[in-house]
Amino acid sequence: MNIVSTYTWCQFTPAFALVGLAALLILADALLPRLPKRIYAFVGAMGTFVAAYFLATGEQTDIFGFIAAIATGLSILLAFDYTKISCESIAGSGNEEGTGEFYALPLVACAGILCLTQARDLVMLFVSLEVITLTSYVLAGYFRRNQGSIEAGIKYLVLGAMSTGVLVYGTAWYFGMVGSFNLGSDVVVSAMKGGVAGSPVLAFGFMMATALLFAGSFFKIGAAPMHVWIPDVYQGAPTPTTAFLAVASKTAGFVVLCSLALPFAPFVVPGSVVGKLLVWCFALVAAATLLIGNLGAMRQTNMKRLLGYSSIGQAGFILVFFLTLNGPVVFMVSKYLLAYALATIAAFFAVAMVRTQRGSEEIAAFRGLGKTNPRTAFLITVCFASLAGVPLTLGFLVKMYSFVAIITAMESWCCICWLLPIMVITAATGFYYYFKVIRAMYWEKAAPGAQPLQVPLCTGIVLTICVLALIYLGTMPLLLQA
Amino acid sequence: MIHNLPWLFLLLPLLVAAIDWVCFNKHPRMAAALSLLSAAGTFGLCIAYLTGLQTGTPGVYTWMPCSLEQLCLHLGLVMDPLAMRMMLVVTGIGLLVHFFSIGYMKGDSSNQSRYYAGLSIFMFSMSTIVLADNLAMTFIGWEMVGFSSYLLIGHWFDKASAADAAKKAFITNRVGDFGFLLGILLTLGLFGTMNFADMAGKAAGIPTAVLTVTIVCLFCGAVGKSAQFPLHVWLPDAMEGPTPVSALIHAATMVAAGVYMLVRLQVSMGAEAFTETACCIISWVGAITAVLAAIMAVQQDDIKRILAYSTLSQLGYMVMAVGLLAGEAAMFHLYTHAWFKALLFLGAGAIIVCCHHEQDIWKMGGLRKRMPLTVLCFMMGTCALIAIPGFSGFFSKEAILDAALAKNPTFFWIGAGVAALTTFYMLRLCIVAFMGPARDHGAEHAKEAGFTMALPLLVLAVMAIISGYGFLANDLVPFNGFHAHGFELGLPFYVSMGSLAVGILLALAIYGLGSRTKDPLAGNCLSKALRNRLYIDALYDKVLIGGLQQAFSHVIEFLDMFVIRGIICQLLVWITVRIGYLCSWIQCGSLRAYTLVSGIGLIILVLILAYQF
Repeated sequence: MNIVSTYTWCQFTPAFALVGLAALLILADALLPRLPKRIYAFVGAMGTFVAAYFLATGEQTDIFGFIAAIATGLSILLAFDYTKISCESIAGSGNEEGTGEFYALPLVACAGILCLTQARDLVMLFVSLEVITLTSYVLAGYFRRNQGSIEAGIKYLVLGAMSTGVLVYGTAWYFGMVGSFNLGSDVVVSAMKGGVAGSPVLAFGFMMATALLFAGSFFKIGAAPMHVWIPDVYQGAPTPTTAFLAVASKTAGFVVLCSLALPFAPFVVPGSVVGKLLVWCFALVAAATLLIGNLGAMRQTNMKRLLGYSSIGQAGFILVFFLTLNGPVVFMVSKYLLAYALATIAAFFAVAMVRTQRGSEEIAAFRGLGKTNPRTAFLITVCFASLAGVPLTLGFLVKMYSFVAIITAMESWCCICWLLPIMVITAATGFYYYFKVIRAMYWEKAAPGAQPLQVPLCTGIVLTICVLALIYLGTMPLLLQA
Repeated sequence: MIHNLPWLFLLLPLLVAAIDWVCFNKHPRMAAALSLLSAAGTFGLCIAYLTGLQTGTPGVYTWMPCSLEQLCLHLGLVMDPLAMRMMLVVTGIGLLVHFFSIGYMKGDSSNQSRYYAGLSIFMFSMSTIVLADNLAMTFIGWEMVGFSSYLLIGHWFDKASAADAAKKAFITNRVGDFGFLLGILLTLGLFGTMNFADMAGKAAGIPTAVLTVTIVCLFCGAVGKSAQFPLHVWLPDAMEGPTPVSALIHAATMVAAGVYMLVRLQVSMGAEAFTETACCIISWVGAITAVLAAIMAVQQDDIKRILAYSTLSQLGYMVMAVGLLAGEAAMFHLYTHAWFKALLFLGAGAIIVCCHHEQDIWKMGGLRKRMPLTVLCFMMGTCALIAIPGFSGFFSKEAILDAALAKNPTFFWIGAGVAALTTFYMLRLCIVAFMGPARDHGAEHAKEAGFTMALPLLVLAVMAIISGYGFLANDLVPFNGFHAHGFELGLPFYVSMGSLAVGILLALAIYGLGSRTKDPLAGNCLSKALRNRLYIDALYDKVLIGGLQQAFSHVIEFLDMFVIRGIICQLLVWITVRIGYLCSWIQCGSLRAYTLVSGIGLIILVLILAYQF
């Protein structure tokens, strides 16, 4: 057996550039201790934005890579505004020592995602996924003076290791059944050629491999049953890391799922057994994810935990697109991810701002913002309205596409029509828990003596841009059509 | 991009309203200037399209584009003469009213930025109705004008009567809008489209009874918005708003939207869609409104209310003409009426300001000497309204009477009777307010209105005289292919001259030349009934609101409390909350529990995908 590389170097240029930048920053951190650490954050964020620019304007637009790079850049910028807490939690108050890598490591993870989007076989897929995961372990436990962060780091490590194990096991089954690591329709076709009757062992093993590989990607997405890590890790990890996990890392998960599931597209036709199994699998996983995410979010009081459950719930809506594997899945998923990323990143900026100045991450800390900071409160309102799916925001549009997807899928697979009422109910509960934040801002009185928040520069800019994009893309939907 | 220019008709006022509201809340002068500029901009754009400087059809905006066609909402603009010339009326009068407002609102202590933002929102919503190319968009504009009318009637919201009037207007319109919405849905069901352009000829296969119901439902919208009997009650109360608002919204444009919508439907569905029964209902509603409003106007003392009732009565004329399938005559009258009624209202506004906010005509008097220019302009408007030959109102009223005589003589005689009443009450107003000695301090110290108020009056006075002549009317009346008829001496002419003479003689006989200090007709029970609006409002308050609505609300409340809230909501909430508890209970923080859950889930996943093989 010999493995022939089908990759070219220039596919990975942005990834290499980011790794190089990260190495430079880490070297500078070691050699130039006097330099203010926030410079690294700024340089790193700019680096990812430049990479994102090249990804968007390159020969083949890499939409997932673009979203991931932007999200990474924004989470580094979030760390830029979060230095006060970072310094307290890493080296003790006021000391910047040891915070340098916190800004450089996300670049490495982002490079991993960019490699992942190029992967066409399981080896590349696995290696780049591990680059992301290993970096995330470090980032999640980075605040070593903060117990929550350490706990999050450990939990993420253990559960992540389990998921890695599942992924490796799945890869082994895959190689054992088809003798190749390549991902493509031709491999699936050859494995399924004999069908159930012709070669039952091969078909069984191949589907087993598929199930295990799917489970590996579900871990990153936060889909049931591999969602268990999300609430604890999101709550405990440093807020910039949580933002990274919630958006960039989730994007990586969907990249994996797309490259695993899309080869099955020719089988998703009425009458095919494999197609029916896949549709059932995705429908069940989506339903469980929707229910767990949205219903679990209802009684949360901690903003980061709430956003964690929200990220599970939103993943459920994205999974619905996989019921129509023959349709424009990648396009729809990336569109939904964009809407989710814009609103979620902005929400995390708001959480970080409130945490820095009011010392709490509870929803109660948002009370009275409508009075003290009416403009900021409005921006946050738009973000949460978009997450809930209020018309005229991008969130509404993509949620509607999710409903269109299930209705389209029901035409060929009427056996999954029970998913529609579940989606309706969970979308409705979304309004309940997202509007809890909005209600706290406008209808509840601020704690006595609450000062108006000072909006940091980056937070103000990012919030404004995200909200403008959400409204603009939500009212001019044809822009995204091209 | 340039072919999308007409969208500015909507976006410019909307943007200006937002800026006024957000940025210039404390700077009323900037807000006023910005609103005035936007009105001028849309007016200029309108001229550019009418004169053919600009042509081309604007793009269609699709909201919610997706593969399921029935979910998509396409919003487009119609640019035919009916719409564009109507836009000229809206933006033209809108511009003059904005200009007039600067003088009228000077020194007013309320938040003027809010006022100008409201005017801009109104311009946006009215343009949406006029330019809408489908019923859904019409409905959006329909609700938006209702909203802006609410804001502007209630502009002085700390005055209880204004706040109540705003509420009354809004709620009364809801009743009509409910029917309108039903009508739109029926249209969508029957015609398969909401687009005006696709409706033509589709009425043929539909059963007459169903068609009648659809048209009557759609007509309900017009009954509410154009204040026709029995939903006319809100318009006189709406006079609590600032007078320029009354001129723009409650006289010239918004209340005419119902007529415009009906004519638009008649043009696009074809006259055959308007069944005989539907037409009968429409014209009778119009006729009844015209008569009732004219009778009630005879015993009003508030100068704005007299004008409000006259607006009702003239709208009745227009609706009657629509019912007689004479859309051309209806739009002609709408167009002339818009100019002269705006003139009358703005004139009344100038008088009210100059008399220190006195609105009772019996406390005026002698204004002819103190503010001659305003009174002269007002008289021009009056002459147009009572249809003195040569003024614009004469031509359009004649067109309606002609149509009535040709279709159904009953309506012709009703129209003629209303004309006599109109002459009578308008002359009563003029004699009492302008002639004789001043009866109160306000009128004694009245001075001529300032430049910003006088200029719009002059422009409108000119339009009130000349707008009916063929050379203007042929190009400006909002109707596709309008052509002014040559004037003929005939029965309609003699009858309307007769009613004019009767009205003038009666007014002179009863009110003389302004020497009386109180109304000789007042004091009897008939006058009392008329002053109390024939007790229709009281009836609504007592029977509909106090009786039926209360009783009905108890039933609804019972259903709401026990069935909806009790059983459905509580049960659903209970179930979802329990599941939510379960979900977060699993999330207890124990790592072993997590791996267990994941592991079980993984086994299920593998079983689903691989078990069958």
